[in-house]
Amino acid sequence: MNACVWCGRRLSGVVTVSQLWRWGPLVKTDVCQDCQTRLTPISSQHCPQCGRQQTDETVCHDCQRWAGQPLVNHALYVYDAAMKAYMQQYKFQGDYALRRVLQEPLRLALARESYDILVPIPVDQATWQQRGFNQVTGWLQTQPFQQALLVQATHKDQPQSAKDRAARLRTQQPFTLALNAADILRDQRVLLLDDVYTTGRTLRHAAEQIYLGGAKAVTSLTLAR
Amino acid sequence: MTNDEAFFGRQLPFQTAPAPDLTATPALKAMGSRLQCQRCGHWLGPQDQLANQAWYCRQCLQLGRLTSQHKLYTIPEPNQLPKLPDGGLTWQGELSAQQQVAAQSVLAHVQSQTNHLLWAVTGAGKTEIVYPALVWALSQGWRVAWTSPRVDVCLELAPRLQAAFANVAQTVLYGDQPQPYQYCPLTICTTHQLLRFQAAFDLIVVDEVDAFPLATSPMLKRAVDHAQKPTGCHLLLTATPGEGLQRRVARKELAVTYVPLRYHGHLLPQIDLQIAWRWREKLRHGHLPVRLIRQLRAYCQAGQRFLLFVPHVADLPLVDRALHLAGITGGVTVHAADEARQEKVQAMRDRRVAFLVTTTILERGVTFPNVAVVILGGDDPVFSTAALVQIAGRVGRSAQFPTGDVTCYCHSYARRVRLARGMIARLNLQGRRQGGRP
Repeated sequence: MNACVWCGRRLSGVVTVSQLWRWGPLVKTDVCQDCQTRLTPISSQHCPQCGRQQTDETVCHDCQRWAGQPLVNHALYVYDAAMKAYMQQYKFQGDYALRRVLQEPLRLALARESYDILVPIPVDQATWQQRGFNQVTGWLQTQPFQQALLVQATHKDQPQSAKDRAARLRTQQPFTLALNAADILRDQRVLLLDDVYTTGRTLRHAAEQIYLGGAKAVTSLTLAR
Repeated sequence: MTNDEAFFGRQLPFQTAPAPDLTATPALKAMGSRLQCQRCGHWLGPQDQLANQAWYCRQCLQLGRLTSQHKLYTIPEPNQLPKLPDGGLTWQGELSAQQQVAAQSVLAHVQSQTNHLLWAVTGAGKTEIVYPALVWALSQGWRVAWTSPRVDVCLELAPRLQAAFANVAQTVLYGDQPQPYQYCPLTICTTHQLLRFQAAFDLIVVDEVDAFPLATSPMLKRAVDHAQKPTGCHLLLTATPGEGLQRRVARKELAVTYVPLRYHGHLLPQIDLQIAWRWREKLRHGHLPVRLIRQLRAYCQAGQRFLLFVPHVADLPLVDRALHLAGITGGVTVHAADEARQEKVQAMRDRRVAFLVTTTILERGVTFPNVAVVILGGDDPVFSTAALVQIAGRVGRSAQFPTGDVTCYCHSYARRVRLARGMIARLNLQGRRQGGRP
């Protein structure tokens, strides 16, 4: 039988009355009930700029420090221990099958966003070689996207996730525009897609380049904040 | 230049050859239309493919991902090990008469290189019984692995073996160990770590062979066979062999040595069965069986420390609250994911707490002198026959307090409880023949 992609436990093939009533093909899930609720979704009380979960709806301290460049980000889940464990297994151990855990939630989230072009954050060549996939595009199923950004081939001396906040903020612009990007981006509303929003440095670098390409608006969506 | 020793009898994955003269096999091999992982034996599914078209094995991902771009590199085990005349033994202890008999039998089987099961009751001194065989193996220049599915068993064992074989170089391998790998005559490791070896060991001692996850994992069983040389043999140690092992013993496929008596010569305590009708429904309403409460109260008044086993982590808070209402205080609850697990167990050892309420995590590998054991819901499927016998074996382990109570509260007289009582009765019958005292 089917097993949950995350915890490996057998999926109980329970058919509910409401599924029968719908009279369509049965929807196959890859993830068990426990794993679906393991990640904490961000509630309506979040920072309006970066999407961070908090107790009120005012702009958070980190976003106030980003005075010059406002970027509206939405995030799906809190970056807690469960999300860290997920990212560890998916990104760093390279368990590509785990992409299926978040494909469905991301599809629903993308349906709620209004944008013309979806631009996932790219991975550099060395990471692609080593990991064998781009963790962001792995979550997309049939949604169309444009690889409008390129990341500089010079390999980072240290991954972004191993740096502290100050070091992250000092990061130089890593992105350039792809060759035909200007034609695609002109006067379009662009949605950037990334895995984790930590300081916002990466997304702001990307947004800068997208604006240079002629986009009229840039927002972003991340899986975790 | 890579260190050759690091490859002796191992299978290490690399994308490009780390050194010229190494034997290499593809990490994922096509067998018919499917791919098989050469490290763990897992058959890849149709969806185990990366975006760059490479395939990868999901089963042994924890040891570092293997893809179809990797190869496994090895140097066949050359046994470049010192032949210690006395086996490097520095242990000063003495084996009892019946331990001596068992040790001779184990030694004979190791010398004839046959697979062997040492079925010794909890608290029989299994580790020490193996020492003579280990001394002989090390004196022959054999490479030996002592492995267990449980990391706590390895961690407890390592210092003991280090002290007993002070002249033998040893290395300890487990999931997040701090030291780097070393080529040694004696390797102490979890069964998962055997996946990194290939035809390396002349003798593999598998401690607690019936413990989770080895008992249910074909991958780990294959790992033990794979890490063993074709000419090698393995020695299985357990107090509670599962039905599969017992069947192999009955069919004479596996030689066995019984040690039915504990080292202090007393019999195992039998499980006392108490029917507690619908205990689970009662617990849901916050009540414990009346007889259980009465028994625990008596323990508290007498100053008798005890372990209370419950089936699930979710039962712990309910039981804890019910005990509190009944005025039985002074204990703590422990479960596998508990961050303070080690401290709480240590507190129980140091007699700072009166009792522990726990799940099956404390079923084996822990020793508290003079405790009583109470099992609530012994008919729950999480308590296997082996688990029940192991839990009963927590009682009477020390020579000063060789007896004690084991009480099991069940809704019904379940098959597993019956089998556990049967196994204890059978071992005690054999023990009595050898002069065991109740």
